[in-house]
Amino acid sequence: MTTATAPAPVRQGRRGAEAEEHLGKAYDLALMRRLWRFIVPHKRLVWIAFLLIPSTIGLELAQPWLLKVAVTDYIAPQQFAGFGSLIALYALLVAAQAGSSYLEQWVLQLLGQRAMHDLRIAIYDHVLRQRTAFFDRMPVGRLMTRMTNDIESINEMFAAGVVTLLADFVKMLAIVGIMMWMSVQLTLMTFVSLPFLVILVNYARKLMRRSFREIRVRLAAMNAFLQEHLSGVRVVQLFRREAAARGEYDEINAGHRDAYLDSIRADAMMYALVEAIGVLAIGLVAWMAAMLAGAGPDTATQLGVVAGFIEYINKFFIPVRDLSAKYAVMQGAMAATERITQLLDMEEPDAPARAVAAAVVEDRAASLVCFDDVHFAYAQGEPVLRGVSFDIPRGATVAVVGATGSGKSTLIKLLTRLYEIEDGAIRLAGVDVRDQKVDELRRRVTVVSQDVFLFGGTVLENLIAGTTKDRAAAEQALVRVGADRVLARRPEGLDTMVADRGANFSAGERQLLAFARAMVRDPEVLVLDEATAHVDPESEGLIEKGIALLMRGRTTLVIAHRLSTIRNADLILVMSRGQIVERGTHDELVAHGGVYAALERTFSRRD
Amino acid sequence: MPTPSVARLTAWSYLRRYRGPIGGGMAMLFLTNLLFVGIPVSTAGAIRAIQGPDPAAHVWPWALAMAVFALATALTRIWSRIWIFNAARAAEYDLRSDLFGHLLTLDAGFYRKNPTGDVMSRLTNDVQTVRAMWGAGILNVFNTGFAFVTVLVMMLRLDPITTAWAIVPFPTIVLVGRVFGKRIYKGSRDVQAQLGKLSSDLQEDLGGIQVIKSYALEPVRRKRFVAASEKLLQANMVLTRVRGQLVPVLGALSSAGSIIVLWVGGQRLSVDGLVEFSQYLARLVWPTLALGWMLSLMQRGQASWSRLEQLFATRPVVADGAGPAIPADELKGRLEIKDLTIEIDGRAILDHVSITMPAGTTTAIVGRTGAGKSTLVDALVRVSDIPKGTIFLDGRDLTTLPLGQVRTAIGYSPQEAFLFSTTIADNIAMGYGSGRAVPRARAEELDRIGARTAAADALDPMPGGVPDPRVVTATEAAGLAKDVARMPDGLATVVGERGITLSGGQRQRVALARALAKLPTVLILDDSLSSVDAETERIILGHLRAVMSARTSILISHRVAAVKDADQIVVLDAGKVAEVGTHAALLAKGGVYAELYQTQLDPDELGALTASQEVVS
Repeated sequence: MTTATAPAPVRQGRRGAEAEEHLGKAYDLALMRRLWRFIVPHKRLVWIAFLLIPSTIGLELAQPWLLKVAVTDYIAPQQFAGFGSLIALYALLVAAQAGSSYLEQWVLQLLGQRAMHDLRIAIYDHVLRQRTAFFDRMPVGRLMTRMTNDIESINEMFAAGVVTLLADFVKMLAIVGIMMWMSVQLTLMTFVSLPFLVILVNYARKLMRRSFREIRVRLAAMNAFLQEHLSGVRVVQLFRREAAARGEYDEINAGHRDAYLDSIRADAMMYALVEAIGVLAIGLVAWMAAMLAGAGPDTATQLGVVAGFIEYINKFFIPVRDLSAKYAVMQGAMAATERITQLLDMEEPDAPARAVAAAVVEDRAASLVCFDDVHFAYAQGEPVLRGVSFDIPRGATVAVVGATGSGKSTLIKLLTRLYEIEDGAIRLAGVDVRDQKVDELRRRVTVVSQDVFLFGGTVLENLIAGTTKDRAAAEQALVRVGADRVLARRPEGLDTMVADRGANFSAGERQLLAFARAMVRDPEVLVLDEATAHVDPESEGLIEKGIALLMRGRTTLVIAHRLSTIRNADLILVMSRGQIVERGTHDELVAHGGVYAALERTFSRRD
Repeated sequence: MPTPSVARLTAWSYLRRYRGPIGGGMAMLFLTNLLFVGIPVSTAGAIRAIQGPDPAAHVWPWALAMAVFALATALTRIWSRIWIFNAARAAEYDLRSDLFGHLLTLDAGFYRKNPTGDVMSRLTNDVQTVRAMWGAGILNVFNTGFAFVTVLVMMLRLDPITTAWAIVPFPTIVLVGRVFGKRIYKGSRDVQAQLGKLSSDLQEDLGGIQVIKSYALEPVRRKRFVAASEKLLQANMVLTRVRGQLVPVLGALSSAGSIIVLWVGGQRLSVDGLVEFSQYLARLVWPTLALGWMLSLMQRGQASWSRLEQLFATRPVVADGAGPAIPADELKGRLEIKDLTIEIDGRAILDHVSITMPAGTTTAIVGRTGAGKSTLVDALVRVSDIPKGTIFLDGRDLTTLPLGQVRTAIGYSPQEAFLFSTTIADNIAMGYGSGRAVPRARAEELDRIGARTAAADALDPMPGGVPDPRVVTATEAAGLAKDVARMPDGLATVVGERGITLSGGQRQRVALARALAKLPTVLILDDSLSSVDAETERIILGHLRAVMSARTSILISHRVAAVKDADQIVVLDAGKVAEVGTHAALLAKGGVYAELYQTQLDPDELGALTASQEVVS
């Protein structure tokens, strides 16, 4: 595919680069709402999860209660009748909790995976809907990152983040409830330690927020640098930049290393200090229990309560301890969501329907293709076409000749609405192309460009993709353009696999396959960009023949590089700097004595 | 480029420099485990006090002890983690730096066999796995050891029988850790593989977007993408199931320990003993699991390390010659190719090629795609290896010269204009050893974290916003000045990833300016103006004539307009020199060159004609 030589606006690109480094919040309601849309279709799973979450929590929190009963009723009084059934019940709870928690995880993951699958397809559809100019500006790598890594980041959130965070919160509330019920005083005492916890969590959160952002930016910078230098390693070596490049890399590498310092500290503190605060809380509970021991209930009950409290406190602090890991995941997911949202908000629709549709009545009498005073620029202020007008009657061939940059390739892109014209009109059978359904238009007009792009898959798939044609039609088309020879040497024939970008076919063979692909489509209008690359003489002959066969009896617009093609055209257009400077048949133009005549003289001399 | 010597390099060599912090971290780890024992002991003491007489008076020293031990444990633990993890990060830095330096010495042959994606994966995934082995690996293995030594002693002291029963599930926990470690690794690998497939599909779609649109292939491609996405979903679900099983299985196993303790210990121990015992047991669950986990982590770390080791062991085929270098005043630029044959995969790409290029002359090389033009250039700049005694620079065998001299003497503007995502000025300045590949915006960021160095600043081609005259001259010679003047940031314009913000022609001219800025003895232009429009090309060729007259030049092009005026034109055909001569002589001869000239309508000739006509009219 020829990439448009359109200079994209410089500013745009830089803004894009900055967007990569956007700071992520761990929680952003507006973004969550955007994500919610992808979860709604799987509401049933949400409901199941909502049923499972309390069941898991309930089964888990019943266990310390049993411990309390065990201590109070059996162990403290050293009286073991019926102890066995209590142990059995305990074991049952453990098993049930395991089952319930597994189901809960599974349902949540399924929900997440399905939502992400939908999101991925939504982005894909969105991206493919954009006009061609969008792709000139947007690096492929960035779009890929949106649809792979960023989605995986959000995915992680389902695995470890927001939903379990919610469940954790419910669990912590439930623990407080049970503890209050067991003993109000002990509970209050437990939460004397809470201020320490709040201060710690807040401090660690700040540290982490800064650190995670730093890490993400550094990692992205480092990988971009690596990618660039490895793919450009030849240039690095040719210009002897090895030492300079390593110096720059070491700077980035050091930044990357140091970005982790804060996160290592925050992580270590969070883990260790939360545990310490938990122990402190247990100490406080023990102390309070001792204070109450004289006045309150009997010792056995008190011991049971303390044993239960120890368990509950441990269970209360585990989610707090894991908060840092979840925080990182959440922040990453939010940043990814933000980037994806930005992409989804970029709307440059490809060939949109006009607001007021004109009457779509085809005029059989009109020329099949008509360019009427067409103006176009890829970038503002740099016109590529300046008032181009010409007609192609049914069955006729128009050849365009001109220098690189004269605007001839642009004609092709405009006819199929890959780019939208600024002024004037292009008509197909008398109807403005902007009033036609774009897929319909692109079915009627088939383009064969000089750099042939073949997709992975078999040759057959490449030939008939997007049509209703079958194998027989593909075979026929191959024979008709003389491309059957390409496959004759290959044992799998039409089922030959196409390597990445068609690397297992020569340039000439790819050309012939492209002709066959166009032939299968049997278009009303054929648009052909003849290849300039030199191929071996054998292929050259085959290609010349293939072109002639493809064009026979078909309305054709051809950007011509071969004299045979030009001489046989019904009309020749000579383009220069976005304008048609000469037009006519071969004989007329030679008689006219202009540019084309001069060119012809050069050629005649050569012959 | 200093590369660590392979013979002595093991996975642990990189940690040697950080013996101090790692040793300190381990000492802290041991202290953590030792101090931890104080917590259950004082908890038990507190519970005994509750049961005893006058609990209010006796419990507070125990409660205080708990707090002190908890705090001490936390502090030592924090330091153990910080020391060990920071050391691992520091060692990772060294490893990355060495790897990158080494990669820059490897030649084209290596990169042909190892796509960038694969090398990137060595530098990201493998380095990460090795670092995990250094950090989490060391920490957990030692932690497990220390925990077992200290805690087990305490458990046995309380009651050997309960201890024996309590550790019954432990072998299973180790096993579970190991099995799940492996399963999760395999699951993630499958997910990665599916993700890779999805990515390559996607890359194809985005690369062929114009074909997709022109042929209305959207529904077909979409179906393919949806299928790939669904496969990824399935792979993810398999991984999820494994992960989802892990937590409940572990929970159940550790609870099984607790239940056993409750059942056995409940009947054998007092309440305080039971509580103390339970705390020990809980303490052991994580290290036990980690042990199994770490075994598989270590295994993967070693596998990653051996891949990195292999990379380090790869030596560039193209290496410095024995020397000495040609003295500067004797460097004239006479090139001689004698009977050069280069085979790739058994096929002769260049077949007994001999060409002589006197100093200061211009040689054009033409030929069809695949005739061997680019291979010849690669040989000249020693990107690919050549046999001894085949190419001579001023009479000296190229393979005997230091690589540095060859590459300094030869300025090369390759066919595909590769630019770094920095400013135009930086890209051009790279021609003469200045310039930075990280744009200044990033440099400011480095400033903020203090990672910027004076050496980096010396590379600024626009100190204080005033461009280096060498850059300006090259910009003008490459016909880029007008374009740059139109850009809002001028020479300081950042070109974006691979120069995406520039047009194809602009990119080529920046690459050309880079080669010109070098002021080389030999200038090679490999189809350097193919995306430039005809008129601009004519102007540039005009500039270049002046530049080229002073040096030996090699022009590769399939455009007649560009090669016509060369002192000699060499026609390559299927790796052989088919014809040599001037434009006129070759046309008269009526051979391959004449045929090339006639079968194709050269659009630039037309461009030149239209331009001249317009001037006339």
